[in-house]
Amino acid sequence: MQREGYVPPTAGGGGGGTGTGSTRPGGYGGDVPRQTSMKYLCADCGKSVTLNKADPIRCKECGFRILYKERTKRMVQFEAR
Amino acid sequence: MPSTKKSVVSRSSAGKAVFDTLAREKRFRNPPADKTAFPALKEAVRPHVDSWNAVFREGGCLHQAIADIGERTVFDRLDGNAETGYGNKLTVRIANYYLGKSMLSSRDKTAMKREIYPAECRERHSSYRGQLQLELQYKVNNGDWQKEYRDCGLLPLMVMGNRCHLESMSPKSLVDHKEETEELGGYFIVSGNEKLVRMLIVNRRNYAMAVIRSSYAKRGPSYTNMGVQIRCVRPDQSCMTNVIHYLSDGNITFRFSWRKREYLVPVMMILKALVDTNDREIYEGIVGLDQREDTFLTDRVELLLRTYKAYSLYSRHETLAYLGDKFRIVMQVGPDVSDVEVGKLFLKRIVLVYLNDDADKQRQLLFMIKKLYSLVAGTCAADNVDAAQHHEVLLGGFLYGQILKEKFEEYLLNIRSQVRSDLMGGAKVEFNSPQYIRKMLGKVNERIGESLHYFLSTGNLSSPSGLDLQQTTGFTVVAEKLNFYRYISHFRMVHRGSFFAQLKTTTVRKLLPESWGFLCPVHTPDGSPCGLLNHLAHKCQIATTTSDTSHIGPLVLTLGVHSAKVLPVPTDAILSVQLDGRILGWCSPRDARRVAESLRFYKVSGTHNVPLDLEIGYVPTSNGGQYPGVYLFSQEARMIRPVKYLPLDKEDFVGPFEQPFLNIAVTDPEIKSGDSHVEFDPTNILSIVANMTPFSDFNQSPRNMYQCQMGKQTMGTPGTAIRHRTDNKMYRLQTGQSPVVRAPLYNTYGLDNFPNGMNAVVAVIAYTGYDMDDAMIINKSAHERGFGYGTVYKVEKYDLAEKSKSKTPVLAFGWGWAAIGADAVALAKYKALKDKYSDTLDDMDGLPMVGQKIVEGQPVAVYHNMGTGETFFFKYKGSEDAYIEEVRLLGNDVGDSICQAISVKFRITRSPVIGDKFSSRHGQKGVCSQKWPAVDMPFSESGMQPDVIINPHAFPSRMTIGMFVESMAGKAGALHGFAQDSTPFKFGEQHTAADYFGEQLKSAGYNYYGNEPMYSGITGQEFHADIYLGVVYYQRLRHMVNDKYQVRSTGPVDSRTRQPVKGRKRMGGLRIGEMERDSLLAHGTAFLVQDRLLNCSDYHQTWVCRGCGSFLSTTPTVAGERRAEVRCRRCATSATEFDIGKKGYWEDGLGNRFIGGENTTVVVIPYVLKYLDVELLAMGIQMKYDVSP
Repeated sequence: MQREGYVPPTAGGGGGGTGTGSTRPGGYGGDVPRQTSMKYLCADCGKSVTLNKADPIRCKECGFRILYKERTKRMVQFEAR
Repeated sequence: MPSTKKSVVSRSSAGKAVFDTLAREKRFRNPPADKTAFPALKEAVRPHVDSWNAVFREGGCLHQAIADIGERTVFDRLDGNAETGYGNKLTVRIANYYLGKSMLSSRDKTAMKREIYPAECRERHSSYRGQLQLELQYKVNNGDWQKEYRDCGLLPLMVMGNRCHLESMSPKSLVDHKEETEELGGYFIVSGNEKLVRMLIVNRRNYAMAVIRSSYAKRGPSYTNMGVQIRCVRPDQSCMTNVIHYLSDGNITFRFSWRKREYLVPVMMILKALVDTNDREIYEGIVGLDQREDTFLTDRVELLLRTYKAYSLYSRHETLAYLGDKFRIVMQVGPDVSDVEVGKLFLKRIVLVYLNDDADKQRQLLFMIKKLYSLVAGTCAADNVDAAQHHEVLLGGFLYGQILKEKFEEYLLNIRSQVRSDLMGGAKVEFNSPQYIRKMLGKVNERIGESLHYFLSTGNLSSPSGLDLQQTTGFTVVAEKLNFYRYISHFRMVHRGSFFAQLKTTTVRKLLPESWGFLCPVHTPDGSPCGLLNHLAHKCQIATTTSDTSHIGPLVLTLGVHSAKVLPVPTDAILSVQLDGRILGWCSPRDARRVAESLRFYKVSGTHNVPLDLEIGYVPTSNGGQYPGVYLFSQEARMIRPVKYLPLDKEDFVGPFEQPFLNIAVTDPEIKSGDSHVEFDPTNILSIVANMTPFSDFNQSPRNMYQCQMGKQTMGTPGTAIRHRTDNKMYRLQTGQSPVVRAPLYNTYGLDNFPNGMNAVVAVIAYTGYDMDDAMIINKSAHERGFGYGTVYKVEKYDLAEKSKSKTPVLAFGWGWAAIGADAVALAKYKALKDKYSDTLDDMDGLPMVGQKIVEGQPVAVYHNMGTGETFFFKYKGSEDAYIEEVRLLGNDVGDSICQAISVKFRITRSPVIGDKFSSRHGQKGVCSQKWPAVDMPFSESGMQPDVIINPHAFPSRMTIGMFVESMAGKAGALHGFAQDSTPFKFGEQHTAADYFGEQLKSAGYNYYGNEPMYSGITGQEFHADIYLGVVYYQRLRHMVNDKYQVRSTGPVDSRTRQPVKGRKRMGGLRIGEMERDSLLAHGTAFLVQDRLLNCSDYHQTWVCRGCGSFLSTTPTVAGERRAEVRCRRCATSATEFDIGKKGYWEDGLGNRFIGGENTTVVVIPYVLKYLDVELLAMGIQMKYDVSP
């Protein structure tokens, strides 16, 4: 089962997106999932916000209180009919 | 055929019905940075925004309300101050209020931008509120006023009002703040929903109305059905209704209601209390010099004066003291106020409250008595309370202000009762200690903002006085953004009041000529709210400020009016001249006409300081008509509309009171001598939505009503800021177009920003049979090109804080963990669970992946208990497949909490399917019955195929000729490439629409009549008849089969009756009702009836005793030597020792022994019968069933 995120060839590595970086195929690293950080978009200033599990929901730049989830990097395929 | 040769494009280039594609495109790319391109839209919601501003501006209604509330006092009853004998006196008042804009709380120390904009409130499902602060002042005894600032919670703010950040933003900056370019405001944001306070029709203020109402006779013995009613409105817009009743003996009583209780006072007592007067003055005030011989009147006035002698109150002082004594408790005044002062307060708070001067009050009351006696004598008619003439509009902002005023007043009363309860509870009450005051205030309910929030979110009014309104619920509605027509209609909607909805008589619903130009005659729903829920005509405005009328009083005196203050009034001065219910003077009928006409000339010409929106109601003397006089109105809440004043050829504003007495021509050619005004445009009488029906003057009128309804149910374009909206359900048409046929008003209101349908080539032909009974055939290729393609957005908020009910977060989004030290099996289980849901859920944060498809039952989000690590899911409940469009992580107000709520927007694709509803703009709705392949569609000589086929039978009975005209106009417009003007009332007998558009078609090389030869798509043969083929704008309605279809074979049943449940949501069945059953019986289909009503419903087999005929007495036996059976306990007798083993011997579960009762059998019954049996048993009724073959 292929679980890694779909990374467009142009994305230059280094924390490029949601699915990359931390999830490796088959790797759950023990009982507790590793503390991972997620990237979101600030709803006000549009900057990317990296959040850890225990972080409050707010933009690190402007302090805005709504974050958007980025579109998945995984390939999304539908039957067009 | 007329031979007049004219250019085919003459109209469209001259009119404003143009596509303006480039300008529109430019405006979309670069929203104007100065001002809106569509001021007419702003104008449409102005009543709402302006009424808010009028309340909350500096010196506005709320400031006046605070002044009107005044002071409240409380005594500590301690012997410290023996001066009054009641102890120390604490006086409290509200000196001022402060209402801030929507800002972050001071607890948030980090955010750079402190403003909270409306878009954030929508996205976070929170409310748009500002801090309300009261400046409370108090003094002890006669000391100095001390200040105390009290926070009274967060008050919901009106978007675009004067406390809104967006108030004066340009379209460009509005877009920057995630709003529409044409954000209109006028609503509140409550828990993410846009709520507005709807406009209500109420009685005209400060005008004494003669009323005949049968309920008046029920007030008590000798009361008649006649009275004069006046709705008095204070400058702060709070109101008080006074009524004087005529008693059958000729007497008059004064009625008012105070804190929801009704009180009756002899009117003479009030007359005597108002000013120092004598009987002669009162007599002369009622009986004019010309009426001395009128014995009907004089007898009654004499009686009025004589009966009052029974009270033996002679001076004003005595009367006031008497009133004060009686109303001391009711008025809730302190014990130190004298009776006379209470009496004065009574007059100030209750009697004709809009007047400040007691002499003015007395004059108005005398006028009311005159009018009442005139009504009784039959010399004047009763005023029609259902006519717009006697109506005004209660605006949202003013209602909001009234509620706020009452909450302020309640707050002061609460302070008083808190002090009293402190005294009773034995707490140390020290008025002079600020610590006590602060502690005491801390215990008083100060959450005024919350109570207004409650009002907006529920629409329920909780008020001790009832605010003089006839309803307590239904004040607010959600401004649904289904499409723009619906949205804008909410703001133009006026409701007659839910009280009238229950009325059995339909008189209130009638369309009366008085509402011409103010309320749209077309735009009202059919069904239960018909005629009660009206919409303002698009040019109708509502005054929200009082005009400056200080010059009017002196001015009318110069015009031959005899001042009311100088007595006696001349014999011929029999008509009163009133300004906002204040009698300025008296004049003769001849002078009255001159006064009215000069005032009108002055006001339109702008001279003599007469404001333009002054309403000059000149009611001429008549034979038993409306009570004559000159009534001037200048205050708020009046409907006004522009018409052209002929003598000056300038704009005049007229109101509904004066309109019945003005001669207003509809069009220029209709002007006759004696007409003072002419309409600017005959379409001014229609609402915004009604104006969008093309050629509506060609249609049968109910069809235009249907279109007004369907236009509002269309799947259209709700707006352009869809990304920033979180409406629970939103419809969107992907392929909206600008209509070819449209009125210029369409451009004025900028409706191209919100396309509502598609231009379709429509053939009127009976083809394939799939177009019968209002069905329509859609060309499959048109469908594939995107005809009517729509989307539904649903937003769901997933809140963890709601689930845990703990103040600190207990639950968190994301996967929990397997127990520490779990074995391999548990770990594998856990891993399998994660893998199972990896389709939609993001591995790391447990939230759905944006862009993913989701089907019923799949998890939307995963969360876990942070203590135990237990994992839970939120599952997708919708039955349709959806796509995750947006996922929002919502912070809390202060932004210091981990993610406790997310908001997920689902996108559900709704390609048109068979069964979906479409309609043209002429009330011609139909259901798509087939998507017909293009190859089999008929085609014209030029090879055109229709997108839509409708049946010719849709027309003869409905007479929607406008649709034919639109079809021709659309065809010609499409051929020549211009937009067609479809404004109604443009064509006539001489200049016909058919000819105008026929000529256009002809010049394009088409048939003059709009029909053309067509060929069958199947055989290729030409049809025997020419087919009417043209371009019609089609709307896709939101009613779609996917939301409606309902099937079940088996499913959930009601636990009590075991019958199938109802409701689509619960997988219920469709009821076969009595009438359906009757028709099945009439057809002789007995087996079908049995199948539907029994076998497929609550079929049940049960034991019954043949002997006693009872279900309930049967009981199973305990299997002993013989097999278990069912016996009747009632027919059995207790067995003795000797009976054991005998025939018919049995034992029940408790070991009781019986013999007999074996005459039982199984029958089939509907299960409810058993339930009925039990219910009847509980009432002591036994049912006996005769079970025989």
